[in-house]
Amino acid sequence: MGEMEQLRKEAESLKDQITAARKAVQDSTLQEAAAGITVVGRIQMKTRKTLRGHLAKIYAMHWSTDSKLCVSASQDGKLIVWDSVTTNKVNAIPLKSSWVMTCAYAPSGNLVACGGLDNMCSIYNLKGKDGNVKVMRELAAHTGYLSCCRFISDTEIITSSGDCTCILWDIETGTQKTVFAGHQGDCMSLAVAPDFKFFISGACDFTAKLWDIREGTCRQTFGGHESDVNAIGFFPNGNAVITGSDDATCKLFDLRADQELITYQDSSIMCGVTSLAPSMSGRLLLAGYDDFNVNIWDMLKAERVGKYMWKLYIPLENGRKVDPAEDSEGSSRVAVGTEH
Amino acid sequence: MSGKMCSSSNSIIQAQKLVDQLQIEAAMERFKISLTAADLVQYCQEHRRSDPLLTGISASSNPFKDKKTCVLL
Repeated sequence: MGEMEQLRKEAESLKDQITAARKAVQDSTLQEAAAGITVVGRIQMKTRKTLRGHLAKIYAMHWSTDSKLCVSASQDGKLIVWDSVTTNKVNAIPLKSSWVMTCAYAPSGNLVACGGLDNMCSIYNLKGKDGNVKVMRELAAHTGYLSCCRFISDTEIITSSGDCTCILWDIETGTQKTVFAGHQGDCMSLAVAPDFKFFISGACDFTAKLWDIREGTCRQTFGGHESDVNAIGFFPNGNAVITGSDDATCKLFDLRADQELITYQDSSIMCGVTSLAPSMSGRLLLAGYDDFNVNIWDMLKAERVGKYMWKLYIPLENGRKVDPAEDSEGSSRVAVGTEH
Repeated sequence: MSGKMCSSSNSIIQAQKLVDQLQIEAAMERFKISLTAADLVQYCQEHRRSDPLLTGISASSNPFKDKKTCVLL
């Protein structure tokens, strides 16, 4: 038997082993575990603030850990840091490349990052001595577009790219610490675990992967989606992963049982999921779709309990507030809503 | 000729990488869903009260709601 054929057979055998091991722990379902709980009541959301200022499509936004400041990136070539309570612009940062697809706020609040079709991740220092916000580093090595970036700290950031890899960078030296290769399609998004030891990535190979940041290895791969995985997030306790796909569904994957627990779908929803965020208790899942809606799901009962209509691409972060983005000729708005 | 050999040894390297990766994934210890699902449900229940989308926020503690009375800054 040729070496290729032998390896192919070994791979098939291992896949069967994984399938069997997953089945062996299927002694129950999420539905059974949640049987004694009633569906949450209808969730109504109200727009409380509208952040006006961008002149073109807003591609991404990310909250600061203080839940008041946030950063948004627009293809008008600007990164804006907003005080969402006063709606004031704290910083308006002009970008070298206007083809931005993602942005991130460092947990410390000192840095923001962005990137896109320039294949680079640019880091900006918000707390520079003279008060001017300048590019601190340009992290270049990806051979494809930057789809997402998330800070681990002020010295490390993880990026995902259309070149099918994710990279952990040392910001101070501007070099790659680890390349996470394995996806067979463009990496579309990533999320860091609450304990900062792992991160998950969603890709155009229809899978989500869990990576050990320090070891540099892929620990688990989750299939099941029938199209690109565009959005991904952790359940608040870090033990489960939520994905959103072009197949119009979201899925909940349990990390310890290594399998899908439930799918959030409805026959009336036929368009892709572009972004998602769980609420603070994990009970609700807010998901943004291509039809400009945000659907709110009861995560335990897999029922839709709310809907919020908006206009265009909807980036979501942090379940406490919902941030839809709108693009209309000549003006763009990002709205922040809470439920009362 | 050498190009063909290069591509076939590349395929073998790729195939070996896949097998190595599957071995890592196959070796993980998996926990019963009855246990893990119960933990998720418990987490939701325990944190219900700190989830404003479920329990609401009073107008006074909601930073986004416009205050009706004058506030001294």
